[in-house]
Amino acid sequence: MIGGLLSKRETMTSDQPSSPSETEISVVESAPKRRDVLASVTVGLGCAGACALAYPFLDSLNGTRGENAAEDDTIEVDLSAIAPGQQVIVKWRGWPVFVQRRTPDMLAALRAPGLDQRLRDPASTIMQQPKDAANWHRSVVPEIGVYVGICTHLGCVPNYDPPSTADTSGHYACPCHGSQFDAAGRAFKDAPAPYNLPVPPVTMLTPNRVQIGKSKGDPGFDIANIQQI
Amino acid sequence: MTERPTHEAGWLEKRLPIVSVFRREYVDFPMPRNLNSLWSFGAFAMVALGLLVLSGIFLAINYTPTMADAFASIETIDRRVASGWLVRAIHMGGVSMLFATLYVHMGRSLYYGSYKTPRELIWLTGTGLLAMVMITAFAGYILPWGQMSYWGATVVINAVNAVPGIGHPLASWLLGGDGLGDVALHRFYVLHFVTAFSILGVIALHVASIHVSGSNNPTGVDPQGPDDTVPFHPYYTSKDGLGICLFLAVYAVLIFFLPNLLTLSDNYVMANPVVTPKDITPEWYFAPFYAILRAVPSRLGGLVLAAGSIAVLFAVPWLDRSPVRSARYRPLLKIALPVLFFSFFMLGMAGMHAPTAPWLWVSRLCVAYWYAYFLIMLPLLPKIEKTYPVPVALQGQN
Amino acid sequence: MRWMLLALGLLGGVSAHASTSEQRGFKVFRQVCSTCHSLDHVAYADLSGLGLTQDQIKEYAAQHQVPDGLDEDGDPKTRVARPTDLIGSPYAGEAMARMANHGSVPPDFSRRAMTQKGGVAWIVRMLQSYAEAPAGRKLPPGSYYNTAMPHGHIGMPQPLHDGQISYEDGTPATTKQMAEDLGAFLEWTARPHLAARHLVGVFVLLYLAGMYVLLLLMKRRVWSRLRQTDASRNF
Ligand code: HEM
Ligand code: FES
Repeated sequence: MIGGLLSKRETMTSDQPSSPSETEISVVESAPKRRDVLASVTVGLGCAGACALAYPFLDSLNGTRGENAAEDDTIEVDLSAIAPGQQVIVKWRGWPVFVQRRTPDMLAALRAPGLDQRLRDPASTIMQQPKDAANWHRSVVPEIGVYVGICTHLGCVPNYDPPSTADTSGHYACPCHGSQFDAAGRAFKDAPAPYNLPVPPVTMLTPNRVQIGKSKGDPGFDIANIQQI
Repeated sequence: MTERPTHEAGWLEKRLPIVSVFRREYVDFPMPRNLNSLWSFGAFAMVALGLLVLSGIFLAINYTPTMADAFASIETIDRRVASGWLVRAIHMGGVSMLFATLYVHMGRSLYYGSYKTPRELIWLTGTGLLAMVMITAFAGYILPWGQMSYWGATVVINAVNAVPGIGHPLASWLLGGDGLGDVALHRFYVLHFVTAFSILGVIALHVASIHVSGSNNPTGVDPQGPDDTVPFHPYYTSKDGLGICLFLAVYAVLIFFLPNLLTLSDNYVMANPVVTPKDITPEWYFAPFYAILRAVPSRLGGLVLAAGSIAVLFAVPWLDRSPVRSARYRPLLKIALPVLFFSFFMLGMAGMHAPTAPWLWVSRLCVAYWYAYFLIMLPLLPKIEKTYPVPVALQGQN
Repeated sequence: MRWMLLALGLLGGVSAHASTSEQRGFKVFRQVCSTCHSLDHVAYADLSGLGLTQDQIKEYAAQHQVPDGLDEDGDPKTRVARPTDLIGSPYAGEAMARMANHGSVPPDFSRRAMTQKGGVAWIVRMLQSYAEAPAGRKLPPGSYYNTAMPHGHIGMPQPLHDGQISYEDGTPATTKQMAEDLGAFLEWTARPHLAARHLVGVFVLLYLAGMYVLLLLMKRRVWSRLRQTDASRNF
C-alpha cells in the first residue's frame, strides 16, 4: 500500500536500475523533497544506532571502575629501623615510596647557598605535595622525608645515593635518562625531569611511626590531583 | 615528476582501485531480481559474526585463562566490569544467532541447489566455515570453566582420544599432556580466537567466489540479461537492511528478555573434576550431532557417524546428479529435503533428551535418513524423477 | 547506563527511605545465612547495586577479615576487608566448612537462584517447610525434617524463626517475610543487572521498531521502481 502510494511520486537518482525507461525520466522534474528526508533520517538513525552499540564495548574498557574510590588504603611504616642517612622503599597503591631518615648534614645541604639556583622548583610552588610538605625540607618533619619514587620524566625509579664522606648531601639519580633530585626530591635543572618527586599524604603518628595515605596537615589532599605522578 | 594527481580519488584509483572495485562488487553488482528473504541469511551470519568478534575482543581484555581465575574473571565481567554483562550477553547470544542463521543458510543452499556448478567452491568454503564455527564454539564454551565447560570438554577429548591411530596424539597435542588443566585451558583460549579470526579470512574467500559465479536464485535458472538483474545497491541493501533489523530484534529479545535460554545453569557452578553434573546436555546447536554420537552402542561407531554426518556435506556438490538446481522443479526432492530438515530438527530434540527408548529410536531413524538422503537419494533420485519445466527468465518470478 | 538506571529508579518509585525486599533480604543474609553460607563472587562494593550507600558497605566490610599474606614470622596474617574484596566464605577453607557442618559444605549463594532446581521459589518454600518429624520417623544424624526435600530431611537446621531479626522499616520479620526477602536478595545476587537488562532491552527494541518502519519505507520505495520499469516495458 505504502509502496504503491510512494511509487506515484517516485523519481530516479544515481541509484537507478541499469536501463531507465522514459516514464522514469519524465517524473524527475516533479521530484519531491520527501525521499531525501526519508533516506537521511534512515541513514542518520542507523549511524546513531551503531554509535550506541559502541557504547558498551568502549564502556567495558573502563574495567571495574569506581571500585577504588573511597578505598581506605593507608599504610603505616615503622621508622625505628631506618638508620640516619638511609632509606627504605615501601609500596603504597602499587607505587614505590621512599622513606628516608636524614642526617644533620643532609638537612644542611638542603639549604646550602647556591643550591636553589640549580633547582627547577626550589620552593615547591608547583602542586607536587600536600600543603604541609610545601616547605624547604618537603616533608612534615625535617628529619623524615617521604617521596613517591617515580621519576617525573618518564616513570623510572630513581636510585638513592646515600650520604658519603665525599658528598654528605644524599641525593637521587634516575638510571634511565640521568635526572637528578636532591634529598628532598627536588629536580635539578639541566636534566630531563620537569617536576619534583611527588610527596604522598603523610601523618606522623609518633616520632617513630609514620602513616602514608592520610595527611593530617592537609586533609583535602588527593594524590590524583597533583601535577604529575 | 611528470605525473600529477588530478584529484584524490584518481590518485588512489591508480595505485589501489579499492573504490571502483567496491563499486563494481557491492554497489553495481548485478543480482538476480527474484531473491527471497532466505538470501538475506548470509548477511545475517555476517552481522552475527561481526558482533561475536567485536564482543569477543572486549571480553578477552578482561578474561584470564587459568583454572584458578577463569571462572572468577567471567563473574567479574558479568558483575563488575562496566557494561560487562552486556558485552557478554552479546557474545553468548551471538553464538546461538550465528548457528541458527547458518542452519537456515545451508538449508536454503540445499533447497535451491546453490551448491551445484559453478558454485561448488562456495559450498565447500561454506561447509568449512561451519566446521570452523563449531570448533570455535566448542573451544569457547570451555573458557568460563564452569561445570558444563569442564565436562563437555572431557567428553569430547575422550572421544577424540578414542579415534584409533591419530586420536591419542591429537588429544595430546590439544591438551599439552594428558589432563584437562591449565595448559589445556590456555590452548583452548588460543584455539578459540585463532579459529575465530581465521573464519573472517575464509568468509572473504566464500564471498569472493560468490562474486565470481553470481548469486543463485529461487528458480535455479541463471539470469538471462540485464532485465533479470538489479544492482545490489539499493535493491538488496534495502532488502537486507530490513531483514537485519528483524534479525537484530530477535537477537535483542533473546539477550535482554530470555537470557536463560542461552545458558545451561550448571555452567554457573565452577568446574569440579570430582563431580559430574546430573544431566550433561550440549548447547542446542550441537544437539543433533550429540544425538548421532549416542545413536549406536559403539564409541567409535558413534564418532564415525557424527563426524561423517558433517563430512558428507563436503561431497554434496558431487553426490547430486540432477541438472536441475532448484527443488521447486524437482517433485521428489521437494518432499525428500523437507524430511531431511525435519530429521535434523528431531535429532536436535533427541540430543537434548536422555538416549532411552523413544528418543534413541528417533535418533537412529533420523541418522539413517540423513545418510540415506545424501548417499542414496541425491545420486539416484535424478534417475527416476520427472522434473517440472523450468522458467526461461526471472522477470515475473518474484 | 547510569541515567537509564536513574530513570528506572524514578519509574519504580524507589525513594531513599523505603527499603526494598532485596535490601531486607540482605539483612537476613547478613544476620542469619552468612554465618554458614558464602558469597564467593560478590564483592562488598557490588552491594551498591542493591541501593546500599558507600558508608553502609564500608561498615559491613570492616567487620570482616581477609587473608593478607604472611607476617615477619611467616605466619598467615589478615587485614580488615575493603569494599573491593569479595564477601567470600565465613570459613577459612572447604575442609573447615565441611568439618563444621557434618561433612557437607553449605552451598555458595552467588548464583544459587540460577543453579537451584526449582529456582528461588523452591528456596523460599524450603525455608518454610521445617516441621516436627512425624512420630517414628528416624532421621540421619545431623539432619532435620523438611518437607520440601526429596527425602524429607536436610542438613541445615531451621535458620529462620518469627521475629528473629528486626527490620529498620518496621516490616514484621515473620519467617515467611524473611524467606521471601531472602529470595529477592538471592535473585539479585544471581542476576545483578536484570533491571538494567530489561530496560536497555526495551530501548533497543523501540529503536529497532523505528528503524524497521524507516527501512520498510525505503525498501518499498526502491522496489516499486522496479515494478514501474516492468510496467513501462510491457507497453
Ligand atoms: C560464517 C559463516 C558464513 C557466512 C558469514 C556466510 C556468508 C554468506 C553470504 C554473505 C552469502 C551471500 C548472501 C546469501 O546468499 O545468503 C553467502 C552465500 C552462500 N553461502 Fe554462506 N556463509 C557462511 C556459511 C556458509 C555455510 C556453512 C554454507 C554451507 C555449507 C554456506 C553456503 C553458501 C552458499 C552455497 C551460498 C551461495 C548462495 C547463492 O548464491 O544462492 N555458507 N554466504
Ligand atoms: S625516567 Fe627518569 S630520567 Fe627519564
